[in-house]
Amino acid sequence: MSHTAEAAQPARGRRLETRRRRRIDWLPYALIAPIALLLIAITVYPTVYAVYLAMTDASLLRLARAQFIGLGNLVRMADDTVFLDGLWRTLRWDVAVVSLELAIALPIALFLNQTFRCRGIVRAAVMVPYITPPAVVALLFCYMFDGNFGVINDLLVRVGVLDRYVAWLSDPTGSFWVVVSAMVWYGQPLMALILLAALQTIPPELYEAARVDGAGAWRTFWHITLPHLVPSILFLILLRTIWMSNHIDMIFVMTGGGPGFSNHTEAVYSFTLTNQFQIGYASAVAVVLAIMLVAASSLYVRHLARTVLKVSA
Amino acid sequence: MTKQRNRRLRAIWIATGAAAILLYSLAPLCWILIASITPELKADVSRPWMMNRAVTYFPATPSLQNYFELFSNVPFALYFRNSTIISTGNMLLTLLVASLGAYGFVRFRFIGRSSLLIAMLVAYTIPSVVLLVPLLVIFRAYGLNNTHLGMILAEATHSAPFVLLLLINYFSTLPRELEEAAQMDGCGPISTLWRIVLPLSLPGLVAGGLLAFIMTWNNFLFAFLFTSTNNVKTLPVIMRQFALGEPAVWGVSAAGALLTTLPVALVFLLFQRMLMSGLAAGAVKG
Repeated sequence: MSHTAEAAQPARGRRLETRRRRRIDWLPYALIAPIALLLIAITVYPTVYAVYLAMTDASLLRLARAQFIGLGNLVRMADDTVFLDGLWRTLRWDVAVVSLELAIALPIALFLNQTFRCRGIVRAAVMVPYITPPAVVALLFCYMFDGNFGVINDLLVRVGVLDRYVAWLSDPTGSFWVVVSAMVWYGQPLMALILLAALQTIPPELYEAARVDGAGAWRTFWHITLPHLVPSILFLILLRTIWMSNHIDMIFVMTGGGPGFSNHTEAVYSFTLTNQFQIGYASAVAVVLAIMLVAASSLYVRHLARTVLKVSA
Repeated sequence: MTKQRNRRLRAIWIATGAAAILLYSLAPLCWILIASITPELKADVSRPWMMNRAVTYFPATPSLQNYFELFSNVPFALYFRNSTIISTGNMLLTLLVASLGAYGFVRFRFIGRSSLLIAMLVAYTIPSVVLLVPLLVIFRAYGLNNTHLGMILAEATHSAPFVLLLLINYFSTLPRELEEAAQMDGCGPISTLWRIVLPLSLPGLVAGGLLAFIMTWNNFLFAFLFTSTNNVKTLPVIMRQFALGEPAVWGVSAAGALLTTLPVALVFLLFQRMLMSGLAAGAVKG
């Protein structure tokens, strides 16, 4: 019964498809045209324009008199301490956020992978930080870490860790870690969700076999769970590193990039320049940042392309 | 005996773990809820050193005063309206172009299909930092700054390709037989899309549309740069003003923050399952 159905299907499908192909060849293009035109207008053209602007000294205040200066902005960058220190600040920000997100998300995912009552409620609660608007998260952490009436100061003084209130956000190191903790709080649920999805694809027989062989919890984790998670973890590190390098919201809302330039990653620096109307140089910084991320981005595109082409094959 | 003890140990371990996770995930929001119902201390002129209010863990007299002040002192309702218009507009635009595009990619084989698809992925991975400046200049030239339409278009730079990917994944799971049956019965491709594919993929459309809505609702960057008048400013922009201490009343800011979170939280709770599977696909930008 099922055999005949399977045998009949490809033939019928092919016949339909050839007919469809011959008669309405233009249709797929017409279907794709709206999104393609939209993306050309709001992404492709602006990107080309950004590269052009990066080679000018354009200012938003005198746009018509912008001069083409070729690679002049690169020369300026080579002498610009904010830009040069920004490279290190970007790296520090990426490493701190991504590693802390992983360190929090992995235990949460492992915990949620167990069966217990109310698991649905806990899982929904885990996602709550991620659906809180980042600007709200920023405000929330500013409030909690406030030097005068912040709850964190109050708790730490009560417990005895601090003997007086600390103005976290006015201190370069303090503000960095406050912004990192806000970012990690906001970002870790996505990691936990993806790691949990990966955990659920591990066949239970493997754990069964390990138990029969007398492997303890730690060895089971090390030899079965972790190897299965490695692809997801690598993917998450790639994904989060790209987006954290480009991240502006949390740093800018909480600190404006300060105190001083202490929280100016390259993305924040470009944003600050834009707000100062130096759009030529701002574009140059953004484009250089994008070029530095090209290797990572192309790995990411390849991964997406492979998945999407396989799914829709 | 040991079995029972093991079970009890496990119960304790689960309870502790769950409590720790709930505390970490929910405490900050609970804290802002408490702040929003704590009435502000009026400055006491005879005791100026009491200007800074102490940390109140729970107000002696909870009140909604901060919420009333939010609407009377800050044009909060206006910002809320703007966020709603822009997010809804973006959701509709995104769903329209992405569902047509996804149908084209999934159901047809044509010359340039995979290169077009890869081009869209590349467009998706272009970071907002690069797009900020050129969009600013282009929008000025076309009078799109400080308009809802401009904001809708800017937000589509990330929501449209994201929803396209999501819908390609979703449409691919639909059985082809139904469409073929519809075509046998004389349905054209567009009416097949309208009558068969779209109704069947309602969960995917809901997930894609709502994620586009949430992305737009939450985004700060474009809203900050492309709006300067109250008629277009969105809620995240106001959060920045609040964080700078304006108005200098934390309770009011807290009330605003909570009301900004509320719509997204409600949407998420109602459609949790659909949204989680959309997010787990792992293509989120930002």
